[in-house]
Amino acid sequence: MKTITFAIAGLAASLLAGTALAQDKTLNMIVIEGGDTAAMQAVVDAYKADHPGIAINLQPYPFAQFFQVAELRLRSADAGIDLVYVDAPLLASYASRGFLSPIDAGIDTSALVPAAVEAGQYEGTQYALPINNSAQVLYVNNALFEAAGITPPAGLTKGETATQADIDTLASSERWTWEQVADAARKLTVTDNGRTTTYGFTVEQFGELYQLQPFGESLGSPVIGPDGYTAKGYLDSEAWTKGATYWSDLYNAWAVSPKSLGYGEAASLFGNGQLAMFAGGTWNLPILSATDIDFSVAPYPYFEGGSVVTPTGSWYVGVNAASANQAEAMDFAGYLTTSDAGTKVWFDSLQQLPTYKPLLDTISTAPEYDAFPQNVFRLGVYDSLNTAKARPVTAAYGQLQDAFRTAFVDIANGVPVADALASAVQKFESAASRVAQ
Amino acid sequence: MFRSRTPVLLIAALLAPALIGLVVFRLYPVALAVSDSFFNMVRGQQLFVGFDNYLSLLSDRTFWKSMQVTFWFNLLINPIQIALALGLALLYVQQFRGVTLYRVLFLIPIGVSLPTAVIIWRIMLTQDGLVNGLIGIAGVPAQPWLTSESLALYSIIAIATWKGISYWMIFIIGGLQTISPEIYDAARLDGVKPWQRLIFITIPLLRPTLLFVLVADVSINFLLFAPIFMLTQGGPADSTNVLMYEAYKSGFIFGDMGRAMAIIVVVVAILLIIVAAQFKLLSGREARQ
Amino acid sequence: MSARSGQPGKALSLGLKHLAYLIIAFIFVLPLWWAIVSSLRPNSAIFADIFPFTPKALLPAPFTLEAYTGIFERGFGLIIANTMLVALVTMAAGLIVNGAAGFAFAMFDFKGKKFILSAIIISFMLPFEAIALPLYTVTQQLGWLDNIAALIVPSVANGLAVFLFYQFFSQVPKDYAEAARLDGVSWIDILLRIYVPLSLPTCISAALLLFIFQWEAFLWPLLAMPSQQFKVIQVGMAAFQQQYQTIWNQLFAVSVITALIPIALLLPLQRYYVQGLAGAGIKG
Repeated sequence: MKTITFAIAGLAASLLAGTALAQDKTLNMIVIEGGDTAAMQAVVDAYKADHPGIAINLQPYPFAQFFQVAELRLRSADAGIDLVYVDAPLLASYASRGFLSPIDAGIDTSALVPAAVEAGQYEGTQYALPINNSAQVLYVNNALFEAAGITPPAGLTKGETATQADIDTLASSERWTWEQVADAARKLTVTDNGRTTTYGFTVEQFGELYQLQPFGESLGSPVIGPDGYTAKGYLDSEAWTKGATYWSDLYNAWAVSPKSLGYGEAASLFGNGQLAMFAGGTWNLPILSATDIDFSVAPYPYFEGGSVVTPTGSWYVGVNAASANQAEAMDFAGYLTTSDAGTKVWFDSLQQLPTYKPLLDTISTAPEYDAFPQNVFRLGVYDSLNTAKARPVTAAYGQLQDAFRTAFVDIANGVPVADALASAVQKFESAASRVAQ
Repeated sequence: MFRSRTPVLLIAALLAPALIGLVVFRLYPVALAVSDSFFNMVRGQQLFVGFDNYLSLLSDRTFWKSMQVTFWFNLLINPIQIALALGLALLYVQQFRGVTLYRVLFLIPIGVSLPTAVIIWRIMLTQDGLVNGLIGIAGVPAQPWLTSESLALYSIIAIATWKGISYWMIFIIGGLQTISPEIYDAARLDGVKPWQRLIFITIPLLRPTLLFVLVADVSINFLLFAPIFMLTQGGPADSTNVLMYEAYKSGFIFGDMGRAMAIIVVVVAILLIIVAAQFKLLSGREARQ
Repeated sequence: MSARSGQPGKALSLGLKHLAYLIIAFIFVLPLWWAIVSSLRPNSAIFADIFPFTPKALLPAPFTLEAYTGIFERGFGLIIANTMLVALVTMAAGLIVNGAAGFAFAMFDFKGKKFILSAIIISFMLPFEAIALPLYTVTQQLGWLDNIAALIVPSVANGLAVFLFYQFFSQVPKDYAEAARLDGVSWIDILLRIYVPLSLPTCISAALLLFIFQWEAFLWPLLAMPSQQFKVIQVGMAAFQQQYQTIWNQLFAVSVITALIPIALLLPLQRYYVQGLAGAGIKG
């Protein structure tokens, strides 16, 4: 009975949307603690100015526990959550279990980057809207390259300016290959008495699918098949074996990368001058700009003879299916992701690569993005429109991510590549078959 | 004698708060949770599947490998922790000048929370970290403490032991207070050696306390997975993948609550059998005393 | 047992004794020492002497107190006070509730005792993650979400503490209570005047158990306080490990403070370790 009443109320409200929303409603939203909460609060404040009847409370959770808490609360059909912060690859898992309401067809997504919109769909239905995007780059310590007498990759450096056209050229024709990265890293790694004092290269997110998906994709094989539940023939393919062998060599044969770094520790090492290169997100720019390291930013590498594939995808917003305030929640989700005002407040506050095309145009053309480090966003614009490859859509994403991480951590620790990939295929398929029925 | 006039009201009043609390906040929730093991979530629908989740564990290789790891982990960590906690307690209660400072230092791990302890130890155990630096002084080559199949489980046991023994020591010290010093005095007069006192006096008289510590420690270690979650995530090559971590992954990362609860029910059932055996072994003779 | 001695043999054994204690203390202290040193460094210098390790990593240089001023600017003083409130109230209520139950189980025989005792022992063998979701639902139905009661009440009754008290009270000879009963002393007086004073060392253990449970509580405070207005230590500490960076020096500063508080509370209680039963002369 109750649900029907709410559905009717929701329907009526959405019919009236834009003219007279229900008054004096309070919405609750779960978000990640830290910068994301501050940025969301700024958007909420801007929204409130135009919608005096709506109050929005943010419920911030620490990053490491966010997924667990969100899972528990969504599973208990908690009406105390209206708006949900959704990590892109978890969307299918949430949608397949009925945690999210389909996005209101009235919300116009035509101004968003199409790939980002598609990553918010499950079985053809839009369940969430992209809040921002992410881009990965190669950070380079210029002083260490100079000391080793190696020419660093072409990139963006402090004190220089670059137009979008310059950067398009850089990204399309001057991008380093992983082979070049390995060559340089071996020369840059310094050991003293058997202990490494300077590392040549590392990735920011050790063993994570988000970071390493391009390793196999660049060589031509997706991680899993189009059905979302088959890994045999994909994760253990020739392409992935080659990519994973490269990964193994970084830690074992060449020993140019530090084992098992935690989140954020790559940037710490780089900031101390103990790491010559790392592949990481553009979110490291403000942290590294605050240090006195002389660094430049190059495009994310690819394998020689392979295609250029770069990581992408970030946070989405969805509406909890158990929420009693569907229309109001939808309205805010639309404001946050598809309005000039909302997207601008978010971008100004958090400085993450947008998915809203008018904002991308501003980044490409406005003179304040000519100088370093702001011009790094233009590299993100190029990649998100040309080389970005979203993570696979599968309701068993958690299973995939876990099997993948286990395999790549094991490989770094010396487990043979073929064994680790075969074990990952077996584990993923056996766990995924339980949700595939 | 007084048992013939059992004060029913008094017993009820003494028991009620604890019983109500445990039923409402522990046993009722667990009944709900166990019922999850008979369901599977398929396309947003809870489907009743009977014992399917249990039956599928029988042919589940990961589950059996994980069972082995769990047993090996517990066979090692429990005796080690209890023996060291007992030893530490005996050192703690010695009286000599300067012992107060040592006592303060022995208590340190109690206040360090497990996540913090894990973070600190992880950094200390890295390839180029502090521990390898220290053993390097003694000429021992650097060891891959947390990244090799042969060492990771033992490193986790060491970290959990570092964190745990001060805590269990406090309970044993409490138990030592119940032993009369006159017994020791008499033994000393009879020429009983210190190690004989430990085996023939201290340990037998400490049996109720040791039973408590054993049952509590085994329960906690059987369910322990936080350090594994934070340090190795079950690896390398599943060498630290205990059953509780396997269940946690199923429930919270894979959204497969049916399998997770089936594993947990199995874990708790095994734990119950072990604890029942401990009661039989350790409290049997005491009753006859 | 005296430390003062002129004989060389005794001096040697005293030296060995101190050496043994020093080695054990060193193992306990080393990780915390490193945390203390790191909390006194700027965040950017935390890893400077760690990869690879040099002895400089054990010295607070460069030195700064910014981590400590930083955590109090973030309101960590209030967070510590919150946690103390939750932990101390749980501890006080838990001592009474669980002590009473342990006493009843040890002193009286009644129908179903074995069954109830087993249920209590089972209650602490359950992984919290397994009951988190149903417990959340129960708390929601009680209307306690975002209320401090949700943090305290579910943790007062503790099967492990009941079991601890039961083990202790079972050891006390029954004839002691019987004699008092024949003299017409009420049960409440027997409990308060005879058994409570005897059980002080056990009370310290039980208090520690209840206190540390709350001091380390993490998943439940996250769930039970959805608006995150009332934070406890572990939840507050998690905020230092952010999505894109970790504020290491503040994390270690909080670790150091939170490690020292339980020790500071425990130390003065040591004077109650005065021979319990033996001191009262019943067990001889």
